[in-house]
Amino acid sequence: MPDVHLWATDGYISTPDGKSIYIWGFTDQEGGSARLPGPLIIIKQNAPPRKTTVNVSLTNNLDVPVSLLFPGQEEVRVHGRRVQPQYENGALVSLANFARPGETITYTFTAAGPGTFLYESGTNPHQQVPMGLYGSIIVRPWDYEPDSGEFQTAYGAGTGTEFQREYLLVLSELDPGLHQALETGGNYDIRGFKPRYWTINGRCANDTMLPDHAAHLPNQPHGSMVMMEPGERVLLRYACAGSANHPLHPHGNHTRLVGLDGRLLQNRIGPTIHDLSYKRFTVLVGAGQTYDQIYTWTGLGFDPVSRPIPTTLPNIRNVVIGHTGMTFWNGSPYLGEKRELPPDVVSFNEKGEYHFMLHSHAEPEITNWGAFPGGLMTMIAVYPEGTLDEHHGRLPVEST
Amino acid sequence: MGIELHRAATDGWVETPDGRIHYIFGFTDVTGVPEKNLAGYRGKAELMAPPLVLQVGEEYFVTLTSIGTPTRPDLDDPHTIHYHGFPNQIALYDGVPEASVAVPVGRSFVYYYKPLDPGTYMYHCHHEPVEHIQMGMVGPLVVRPADYNPAHPDYKTAYGHGTGTEYDREYYMFLNELDCVIHHQVETVQEPDWTEYRPTYWLINGRSYPDTVAIDTGGRLRLQPWPALIRANAGEKVLLRFVNLGFEQHALMLLGAAFRVIGIDGMRPLGLNGEDLSFYKNIIFIAPGQSYDAVFTAPQARPGESYPLTLPLYNRNLTKNTTGGTEPGGMITEVQVFAPGGLPPQAEPNQP
Repeated sequence: MPDVHLWATDGYISTPDGKSIYIWGFTDQEGGSARLPGPLIIIKQNAPPRKTTVNVSLTNNLDVPVSLLFPGQEEVRVHGRRVQPQYENGALVSLANFARPGETITYTFTAAGPGTFLYESGTNPHQQVPMGLYGSIIVRPWDYEPDSGEFQTAYGAGTGTEFQREYLLVLSELDPGLHQALETGGNYDIRGFKPRYWTINGRCANDTMLPDHAAHLPNQPHGSMVMMEPGERVLLRYACAGSANHPLHPHGNHTRLVGLDGRLLQNRIGPTIHDLSYKRFTVLVGAGQTYDQIYTWTGLGFDPVSRPIPTTLPNIRNVVIGHTGMTFWNGSPYLGEKRELPPDVVSFNEKGEYHFMLHSHAEPEITNWGAFPGGLMTMIAVYPEGTLDEHHGRLPVEST
Repeated sequence: MGIELHRAATDGWVETPDGRIHYIFGFTDVTGVPEKNLAGYRGKAELMAPPLVLQVGEEYFVTLTSIGTPTRPDLDDPHTIHYHGFPNQIALYDGVPEASVAVPVGRSFVYYYKPLDPGTYMYHCHHEPVEHIQMGMVGPLVVRPADYNPAHPDYKTAYGHGTGTEYDREYYMFLNELDCVIHHQVETVQEPDWTEYRPTYWLINGRSYPDTVAIDTGGRLRLQPWPALIRANAGEKVLLRFVNLGFEQHALMLLGAAFRVIGIDGMRPLGLNGEDLSFYKNIIFIAPGQSYDAVFTAPQARPGESYPLTLPLYNRNLTKNTTGGTEPGGMITEVQVFAPGGLPPQAEPNQP
């Protein structure tokens, strides 16, 4: 029975434009700083008919009550009783049983189905969730086995959800006015909620493209660069912890949506299985919702010897490369080849890989307080075959 | 070999029915124009950008020439073409400046496409996309199926013979918004704060009602040459190609006929095993960067009614049916239904 302990506390995050923003959030380290998003909880289901029961203890080190919601999970209980909305003097104070400052509360739920889910505070959620009191849960099917082909799936063997790498992108938006008010004890009028930053895994672009555990982002440990090789099936898990909808568009290919809100897109009518998965080039990632998708990229077969591109690449002095002082380009039309770049441009290209942008098409969201580039943007990096380390796109089987 | 097309990137001005003019960046079609004459197209960007109409299996060489922005001579922004939704594209032809090349003023670049999948897509400049998209460097991109043949009803389809996507007439329904403060700031060399984006103009095919139902393409609308008026004979199937390159979600409602959604994001709604998942809707709810192909059948007049019938098509986000704060305006247009045989066959998309 997996046991998770979370602490609700505060901390700071950094934005690429040099700001330090006060947050509330969760950590799995006693005495640690709040992290954005909260620690990822990964659960592998027990083989049926055994239920998968999960205990999550929450210790509240903030000076306001905090609770946890587990949308999409079943039999959510506290001390054996179903969680209930909480009222004081007839007024709703929390959507679930909560921990007062200094208290610890233990929730239990049954992970009834595989998929991608959120957990988030249900107490003053309009304030606490945007402050950072959210995280995500991955439930793996009971037959999940990494590197096993048919058993490395999002929803179980035979569901068409096999993948080789997986990436989780948790989205939110951030109004620094709210954060400043709660840091300094000032007033905040929710009617004025106006996001100035948008985050993937707690980071704004271009920090989204930095590796996990970047030293200067201790409370935002997860990047969101999607790294893959041609032909691989990549599982993209989008989870929207924000209150707005975000239309995410990956360059390079459509995605096939195989699960929504942790539910496989499949109907069974009698013995017949109806596949309801579908392909999109833009997915409107709605508030509180999750989207499991398979992305592949195979290219068009261009090769410098057997199938050269049918146009002439201009001299690099006749095109603009790296107008912001840096480029992800490999300098070549061909995957795996690196060619000359202008001398004043910093290259972030490692092995001749291609980069495809993955971003919100509500384009003001790809800014940091109005300045492009920023916000809900990252890259899909397609590495030449056989050159990408296995640890990229590898999440643990279960949280430890 | 292949088909050559040519787009120029420049600036221009568009007009809204309240008499205001707005500075834009955009594209114009210069296919076949000799290089020495390109300068004559400076300042003539069109909204929406001239559609790119391609066909599966053909090879296209689309040249982009950046011819400068006469109203902003100081501006040295390069431009690109991003073919939004092209599967398995390579970085070089994807038009993202951070991941390949962009085209500086006075230079050209050739994008190569061999489309493999029919459907409705879009193209736009991807340099500082928040600015260049809002400023108007946006247009629809249609890929016809390999067997497309407008002379034969079984082969005049969106997705190919036998796919159940036949139509008699087709219209672009290209959606975006315009924040006139930001356009003015860009005109006057000011830096906008994009988190303050607050459009007050909502456009179909670059026009705001009642310009949407005006069929003229010259005069004050010469840089907005795409009417959004839909005309059909009773009983005909009409394909509407919705593209949203604004920054807001839109909900386009048709009164008096139902949409059958036959394509989303350039894909027929099909299950993994080919299941037909097409469905009916009264409202096309479309997010930025999405496309919808919707077919409706023009209704017959009932006893006592006379042709033409008029079916309103408008944004159910009702505040967007305004032009600079006055109504009616914005994303309103109409479908006019004529008696069977009343209209000759449609020769070109959007021809009312």
